[in-house]
Amino acid sequence: MLEVRYDGWLREFGAPNREQLEAGSLAELLETVEQRHPRLRFKLRDETGQLRRYVRVFVDGSDVSGSTGVTTSLAGARTIDILHSIAGG
Amino acid sequence: MAKDQKVRILLGTRKGAFIATSDRRRRTWKISAPALESNDVYHVAADPRHPGHLYAAANNEFWGPMVQQSSDWGKTWRETATPLTPVSKDRPHGDGPVPAGPIIHLWHFEPGPSEQPGRLYLGADPHLLFRSDNLGESWEPVEGINQHPNRKDWQPGNGGACLHTVVLDPRDARRIYVGMSSVGTFRSEDGGRSWTPTNKNVECPFLPEESRFPETGQCVHKVAIDAANPDTFYRQDHGGIYVSHDRMNSWTRIGKELGDDFGFGVASPPARPGIAYFVRLDGFRVTNGHFQVQEWNDKTRRWKLLLKATAFPGRFTVLREAVATDALDPPGIYVGTTTGQVFVSPDAGKSWQVLPFVFPAIRSVSVAGPAAQ
Repeated sequence: MLEVRYDGWLREFGAPNREQLEAGSLAELLETVEQRHPRLRFKLRDETGQLRRYVRVFVDGSDVSGSTGVTTSLAGARTIDILHSIAGG
Repeated sequence: MAKDQKVRILLGTRKGAFIATSDRRRRTWKISAPALESNDVYHVAADPRHPGHLYAAANNEFWGPMVQQSSDWGKTWRETATPLTPVSKDRPHGDGPVPAGPIIHLWHFEPGPSEQPGRLYLGADPHLLFRSDNLGESWEPVEGINQHPNRKDWQPGNGGACLHTVVLDPRDARRIYVGMSSVGTFRSEDGGRSWTPTNKNVECPFLPEESRFPETGQCVHKVAIDAANPDTFYRQDHGGIYVSHDRMNSWTRIGKELGDDFGFGVASPPARPGIAYFVRLDGFRVTNGHFQVQEWNDKTRRWKLLLKATAFPGRFTVLREAVATDALDPPGIYVGTTTGQVFVSPDAGKSWQVLPFVFPAIRSVSVAGPAAQ
């Protein structure tokens, strides 16, 4: 079982603080998330199924957004954080 | 019940939407609190068929483009359906050329004619037109333009691959015009099934001299219809200011005598046939370092500068959706800047004021209000 933790901003679109879900890959997890919270559809991924440019997904603390992306395997993973990127200076 | 006589300026900004409200005199304005604050709002449109209904093209840097709708003049908003590009995994497409990626930004709403009370049009980047028949609850791509055979030659402009102009012929709902950056204008006579490029005589100064008048590739910035003469259009193009008197079959350049006739926005007041307002820019800032509006009179074929150079000095930038007028007589003129000023004239340019507020960078200005009596 995965612990999925959501960016606070995503509550605007109906996401909870966190929830327990099962999935074998990040794409599968996002399908489940979008089914459970329809207003998150097209917020995390665009209509081609890819992660949006400034959405960051961490699997057990590692950012997979710019590497394996939605194809990331979640076998053995425990915690997923879905965040938006922050820039500053 | 008395008809609403309020005049509302609808502002789309880099940080949300604002509404400034006045009466028919248009001298004092009450400015709303911002709405949709976390969004870059490219356009806010009122639907004259359904008073109080507004649509906002809310482009969120993080969460993508969203259609936002209000039924109470912007007091509350809700997200309706987001259109999908033909490449979406949920939408198979035909054989024509299609964009290579997802929707980048939503650009422009155009309410349909009164005989189609649920019809809306929505222009988007990358060069896409959508149609809704249920006031934005779902969208269908207008494939005749989205998959036009000419699409393989389309390129984005500096502002993206935006379909920013949708104009409907008030006499015939089947006649539709669109304008797209770096592509030009097109007309449909059959409700959007087929489209013809309409850029004859419009120069592309950025192309080699021997190929400056192509069929498409013109960087049209904005087009306004002359409501009383709907065969007439006023066009601000990258290559200058043009007029057409034959439903865009051909264009005549009218801005050359101004010297530099580059700019982005144009508006034509319904109560004054033959008049159009333009804001000349030198590159991206107002020409000669002061805010100005040029009035074109299509009957006398003369230009008139509506503001003295000393009135509002400054290097203002005015984007393509940020010049508007209203339906009253004398017409109001409304211009927003990327530095957050809104210039307002309630009397066709005789007098001017700046709204007493500094807004975020202004993307769009449109006006909802009563018609002339």
